[in-house]
Amino acid sequence: MGSLRPRFNRPILLGIFFILPLFLAKGQTYGSASHTITVTVSTITNVTVTGGAVSFTITGANAVAGQNTMSATNQATSLQWGINSSTKKVTVQTNLTTQLFALKLVALNPTVGTAASQVTITHTAQDFLTNLGRSTGSCTLQYTAVALASQGTGTDSHTITFTIATQ
Amino acid sequence: MHKLLLLLPAVALLLSSASAQQISISGGNKTLSITTGVAGSEPAAVTNSSCTLTYKKQTAISKVTVATVCSGQSFSLSVVAVSPTKGVASPAVTLTNGMAAADFITNIPATGTTNATATLKYSASATFEQGNSAELGNDVHTITYTLVAQ
Repeated sequence: MGSLRPRFNRPILLGIFFILPLFLAKGQTYGSASHTITVTVSTITNVTVTGGAVSFTITGANAVAGQNTMSATNQATSLQWGINSSTKKVTVQTNLTTQLFALKLVALNPTVGTAASQVTITHTAQDFLTNLGRSTGSCTLQYTAVALASQGTGTDSHTITFTIATQ
Repeated sequence: MHKLLLLLPAVALLLSSASAQQISISGGNKTLSITTGVAGSEPAAVTNSSCTLTYKKQTAISKVTVATVCSGQSFSLSVVAVSPTKGVASPAVTLTNGMAAADFITNIPATGTTNATATLKYSASATFEQGNSAELGNDVHTITYTLVAQ
């Protein structure tokens, strides 16, 4: 009578012993852990003027014989902004309630948005740049001071304020 | 019967994943808030290093991977392992919704002490173009670290 015990093939068993653990280890997941990280971003609106104070003087050099209007321009400063909310604009106004001479401003080469046509700056805020979405950008500030010969002499000292507002 | 004992290493390997917790996070859930920015630049990035990852050595060289789920992600988030006591930290991993698991700590040896730790340093950033939470909502990441055989 032959034995009924199952017969194990020794090479196969050795193969299982050495190779199976390698297969099982490859790509095996031992465990995992999770947590939650929340990122919040506040509404941020920044605007700044670079280039410092502007001073310009209308002199006889700006006068043309036969013309009442004299003017001088300055492009030494620029405006930079950073806005992370949609549909904003920049307005401009002066602190002077009364002024001797006209001061005009236009945005040159805005990297974003739409420049308004030349603004005569008053104590009331006026649109200067519109259609500023979420962006960072800049433009050159071109000021033009205008005096009439008939207005005589004097000095206007403005504090110009740029404001980011909802459009 | 004694020959079945030869299978014990494989069985032990299978059971190892079901044994004590092999990887865990301490420090809980965190919020990173970006609140300031400079015109002409971008909002200031923020970091958080108050969470610690603890992981155990295995019977084979192993690694930790990281992945995130963040529906409607708007902003940027990355993580790097700082000062892992075992293994080698990968460069900072940018976490994006639905990403494939990325290597986070590799070459964790099967020798030495059982437990290892690493500080989780998260960095959140946003550009002005990416907007804000009031309009877009917060980014809520469920970040999963997985310990796997390398």
